[in-house]
Amino acid sequence: MGVTCVCQVPVAEGKSVQQTVDLLHKKLEQLGAVKQQGNFCVDCETYHATATASGQSSKLLYVMHNSETPLSSDANFDVLMVKLKSHFQNAKGHKVECRGSKYRYSDFSIKVGTVTMNSSARGISVEVEYCPCVVPGDCWNLMKEFMQSFLGSNVPELPSVFTVKPEGLFAPSDCIDTMTQYLELFNKLRKLQMPGGSNIRV
Amino acid sequence: MADAVNVGVNLDAFNHAISGVHALRSSVTRVFECLRDGLKNRESLERREKQFVHEFQEHLQAVNRDLNELERLSGLVGRPSESHPLHNSGLLSLDPVQDKTPLYSQLLQAYKWSNKLQFHAGLASSLLNQQSLKRSANQMGASAKRRPKVQPSTLVLPPHYVDDVISRIGRMFPDLSIELFRPNGTSAVLLVSLGKVLKAVVVMRSLFIDRTIVRGFNENHYSPDGKLDLWTKSQYQVFQKVTDHATTALLHYQLPQMPDVVLHKAVPVAVPTLRSLPSGRTSSHLERLPDTRGLSRHLPHVAPPPTHVAPPPETPAACSPAPRDTCRM
Repeated sequence: MGVTCVCQVPVAEGKSVQQTVDLLHKKLEQLGAVKQQGNFCVDCETYHATATASGQSSKLLYVMHNSETPLSSDANFDVLMVKLKSHFQNAKGHKVECRGSKYRYSDFSIKVGTVTMNSSARGISVEVEYCPCVVPGDCWNLMKEFMQSFLGSNVPELPSVFTVKPEGLFAPSDCIDTMTQYLELFNKLRKLQMPGGSNIRV
Repeated sequence: MADAVNVGVNLDAFNHAISGVHALRSSVTRVFECLRDGLKNRESLERREKQFVHEFQEHLQAVNRDLNELERLSGLVGRPSESHPLHNSGLLSLDPVQDKTPLYSQLLQAYKWSNKLQFHAGLASSLLNQQSLKRSANQMGASAKRRPKVQPSTLVLPPHYVDDVISRIGRMFPDLSIELFRPNGTSAVLLVSLGKVLKAVVVMRSLFIDRTIVRGFNENHYSPDGKLDLWTKSQYQVFQKVTDHATTALLHYQLPQMPDVVLHKAVPVAVPTLRSLPSGRTSSHLERLPDTRGLSRHLPHVAPPPTHVAPPPETPAACSPAPRDTCRM
């Protein structure tokens, strides 16, 4: 439970998504990271609020599951959503999933995943977590340097979730920040493939 | 092939002797070829017989020459040394099944390794004895008569004095907070929190720091029965290293007569270094950690830390002797 940064890696020129993922895995293994058992999965389902008489614009509810934090992937949560069907309706066809393998490199934990929507691969996500520290401001330089060592020039800037907090960079981070970053990434990838007008707002 | 038998063997002469054997073999082959071919086709029988006998003689003389040459060369080769380096175990080297179980060469490697280990251990012990880690106020080698029967006064300090010193140090820095417990008798156990970076458990023996364990801010510092956990190491390598550095520092910076001087001087130096721990300053963050050995320049009257002992020799498991082919003649 440390500071997490989720970023998107663009697919390399002339290569498929799977090849770029394999390239990343090889780079990590050359660095000395150790592959962990099992895969991780983060997915996101969208629900619209059904229109009510008051005529307010439909709000969107995102339900996210993460295999690393089992409480949110409790099966009963989905059943709860079914029960709330009268208020929210599942927007089928907008489920985004990110699956991949995990690596561990001393105190860092790295997850490389393929983002798929309707079983078509849309992009690659990389999540880097530095476990010992909880304050993003203190360890951002260290994380950036680590990401540079295997991502090359694709290193992202400081995620905005950390800067918009009231105390700024020095507030402790938690899993909600991680999920927010994933959500932003999924929305960005959704928008990329649907340039025509759609009523999915971020 | 020459590792077991050495010194007496002249490898050059050995090679010459082998080519001598080849020459002998070919001249013997020529003799038999001559016999096989028999009489050659010439004008008269006499001539043929004479020719045959002449050739036969020549070949036999060649064989004689080569044999003498070989005898001379084999005299130069010399005998293998009679004294086996490891007495009876040297006889293992004569085992022809050398490829499957290279026992003798492994045995030699193990012997060389243990000799090296003994040598390094001697060096290490002499270096370590220079820097004594005994933290008692008694002089070494005091005679039995003068050996004090009274406990040194620095070990028996009233608890409230210890509390005062600790609270004074705790007030030095705004983000440094110290909580004091006394779970086992009069020894104080401190839980020091440094900002949101780390928490350290420091076990004291009156004013001497006995042990310390540094863990991350978000780790669990309490054991399952609710007491402060004094033994579990941090799960992060960074903090394990910091614990090692801190332990080295507390063993090194010691003044048995005036323990509070150490606390007052060393803590203000160590704290800013530890506070900047997560961010790091150099380009190679992942390798370097704040070096507490730098503290020595702030405490000039304490001797500098010992230099590293030479790295340990290779273990027999690490160096795998390649199986040597025995020479088959």
